[in-house]
Formats: sequence, structure tokens, C-alpha cells
Amino acid sequence: MNTTGHIERDDLVLFAIQLLSKEETAVAAAHIEHCPECRGELAEVQGDLAVYAHSVDMQSPPAEARERLLKQVAHEKKTVPIDIAPEPEPVLPSRAFGGRRSLTEDDLPQRSFAGKIFPWLGWALAAGLAVTAGNFYLQRTALQGSVAEQKDQIAQLTTDAATAHDVMETMTDRSAMRVTLTMAQTAPVPQARATYMADKGMLIFQANNMEPLQPSKVYELWLIPANGSNPIPAGTFHPDERGYASVMMPPLPKGVQAKAFGVTIENEGGSQTPTMPIIMAGT
Amino acid sequence: MYRETGIVNAPPLSTQDDASLLALVKRGDEYAMASLFDRYSKIVYSVALRVLRDPAAAEDVLQEVFMQIWRSPDGFVATRGSLGGWLAVVSRNRSIDALRRKRPAESVEEIALASDYNLADEAERNMMIEKARSIIHQLPMEQRKTLEMAFFDGLTHTEIAEMTGDPLGTVKSRIRSALSALRKAFTA
Repeated sequence: MNTTGHIERDDLVLFAIQLLSKEETAVAAAHIEHCPECRGELAEVQGDLAVYAHSVDMQSPPAEARERLLKQVAHEKKTVPIDIAPEPEPVLPSRAFGGRRSLTEDDLPQRSFAGKIFPWLGWALAAGLAVTAGNFYLQRTALQGSVAEQKDQIAQLTTDAATAHDVMETMTDRSAMRVTLTMAQTAPVPQARATYMADKGMLIFQANNMEPLQPSKVYELWLIPANGSNPIPAGTFHPDERGYASVMMPPLPKGVQAKAFGVTIENEGGSQTPTMPIIMAGT
Repeated sequence: MYRETGIVNAPPLSTQDDASLLALVKRGDEYAMASLFDRYSKIVYSVALRVLRDPAAAEDVLQEVFMQIWRSPDGFVATRGSLGGWLAVVSRNRSIDALRRKRPAESVEEIALASDYNLADEAERNMMIEKARSIIHQLPMEQRKTLEMAFFDGLTHTEIAEMTGDPLGTVKSRIRSALSALRKAFTA
């Protein structure tokens, strides 16, 4: 909160991008709920974030994604209320009585109110039951779809959990080895940082200002073991248009102490042995 | 198609505005849902892919976001700005949740945004994208990187401060300044 009792703009931005702690988020949310001024500012920040999000490199989703969505949409069909038109008066069957004109309703004895209503009650009940049964069926179908989808989500979340846990452990462990790789050249200088936990075989690598490569080429990261054995490939990467690149948690053997890390340029698909020269190295 | 939706002499779904399509979705119109997907799936998927760097995970977020529209079209109302902008922010937040492997921190209904851009119009959308990219490219490097790390990489300001060696306050003000610069350039 600032001196005027509102949320600082800096913190409002952090709230919008979900970077505040749980406690801070709760305090901010409670304030925003009752403060039109902060709510207005938050909407402004969200608008800015929406514009910023649109600066991302556009990628089309796979064609199957559309099919998958529409299938799921069809699976979860909605029940839209329908206006039921009043039932038309039933036409009485015409029965001929030897030479007489057909029998009409006027010819029938007057029925009591109950006599008129009860026959229709049965039909109304049947129609009501049919509509209810239909609704139950649709609800059941929707629930089945929802359960299947949640099962998929749980499986995905479990996998994500394991990876995220490893990433966080590697980034925050005080005993992790942190290496900065640089190249002595004029600006902008390509620079990279490797964070490595030898006993767990976990590695995070982030690079900036990397030069673009020919389409058939790729950068490859190498772990150079301290025991003098052959360099171990630790993942390939392409920098984005701003020269930023990262390699997160490549598959590495556990317990290999690193003497250094290096980067080479290889053919697309990577290599099992480094092709000289090593363009970036760090110990 | 229009016989099914009950709209007579209506324009093709692909040219209808977002509010009309959402109204049709509310009534269970699957064609309207397909039109919204065709219009916004690219931005939703691109944002998710940038955050998650995993096509399969990004596709899951894409499905999740659009199914949210199908199930609760009322979650978005016209007063909340453009649907495209709203979806881009929702996609980012859902992706970060997936990255941090936690339950959605908020329901999508709670996100309100102020935006005057008509992102339903493809030409205007493309113009806005180009302008945003150009402005971001002109931001000071440290502001650009800090915003990118916070928004797309999902790093907390503490993590960014540790990685860059900058004080926490500097990280926070860089994020805010980058967004302010973006808005100023758009409103100028």
C-alpha cells in the first residue's frame, strides 16, 4: 500500500501477472474488490499486458487442435430452454352412425372439469418425464466428458509437477554450480549462464545475444567432465529473434562432475561429438 | 447454419463481432464456437507455447481456455475490453499456472481489462501486433528482458533479481516502466 491507502502501481503490476506471494495476493485482492480506483488501474495494466502478449511470435496450433475442441464442444452440448407451444386441440375421430352425420364434440355429453383435465394430465406427466430424462442424459454425457478431461489434466499436471520441482530445486539450491559462459568480442556480447547440479544431473542453461544461425545449423551445449572423459552432449538450441535461448533439464547422467561447459555449432539434430571450434566456454 | 442458429439474414459468422458470437455460444451454437476458435486460437496457442515451450502442453492450455468460453460464455462481457486481449492474458496466466503446476490462481471471469483495440478485426489486430513489437524493440534492453522474464518465463521478481543481480525494487520498477512505455506509445 502507498501513503494514500492504495496499492502501489509496481505491486499492482505484480498482482496482475501473479507474482505476489499468497499473502500479498490475498491482501491486494481484498483491497481491489472494494476500491474502484485500484480496479480501474488494474484493468489498465491488464490492457497493457494484453497488448504485450500480442507481441509474441505467432504460431498456428496443430490442425487436430480444432477438431479436438469441436469434438469436446459437441460432447458437452448445452441444454437450451425451448419455448413449448400449446398443444393443438385434438381432433375427435369421426365415427359414422348409420345414416347420421359424423359424431362431433357437441354431440357428446358434457364432461365435468375433472373429466376434461384428467386425460391430459397423463400426457403432461409423460411429456414432463421425457424432458427430465433428456436433461439427465445430457447432464450425464457432460459429466462423463468432464471426468475424462480432468483425468487428462491430472496426468499432465503430475508430469509438469515433477519437472517444475526439478527446475526450482536446481535454480534455488545453494550448492548448485553456477557458471557464466562468455565470448570476448565486441558488443553485443553473447553471454550464457549454466546452473548445474552434478549429483542430480540437473542443468539449466540460458543465453543472451546469441547470433542467428543458418537454417541447417544448431547450437549444441556440452558438459566437459572433470575426469577427462569425452564431452557429454547437453542439448541443442536455437536463439529466438532477440538472441535469447535456453536449455532446461536436458537428459544427463547423474554424478558427473563438470570441469567446464562449452557451446559448439552443429548440424541440425545435434551431434554426439563436438565439432570444433568451441565458440563459448566457461569453467 | 443460420437456420440452426435462428438468425435470419445474419452476416456470416466469420464477420460477426465477438459479442454476437458469444451470444450464440451461450445458446449452444457450435459454429459460433468454431468461429471464435478460428479468430483467436493463434494468439492463445502462441502465448501458451512461448511460456511452456512445449507444443503438447500449449495445446492443452488452448483447449482449456476455449472450453472455458464454451462452458461459461458469460465470463466475458463487452465492458471488459477486447475478447482477444482477454484471451491472451488468460492463456498466459493458465500457462504460468501449468508451469508452476498449481491450480488456476483465479477464475477467468475475474480478469477485467481496459483496451480500446478491436482485436476481432484481423487488420486492426495485425496492425496492433506490429506496433507492439516495434515499441518493445525500442525499450531499453534491461526493461525488455525483465518484462519478458516476468511475463513469458514466469520468473518471480525475486528470481529475476537473483539472476540479474539487480535489487528487487529495480526489477519491479523496470516491469512497470516497460508497460507504461508501451501504453504511452499506444496512446500518443
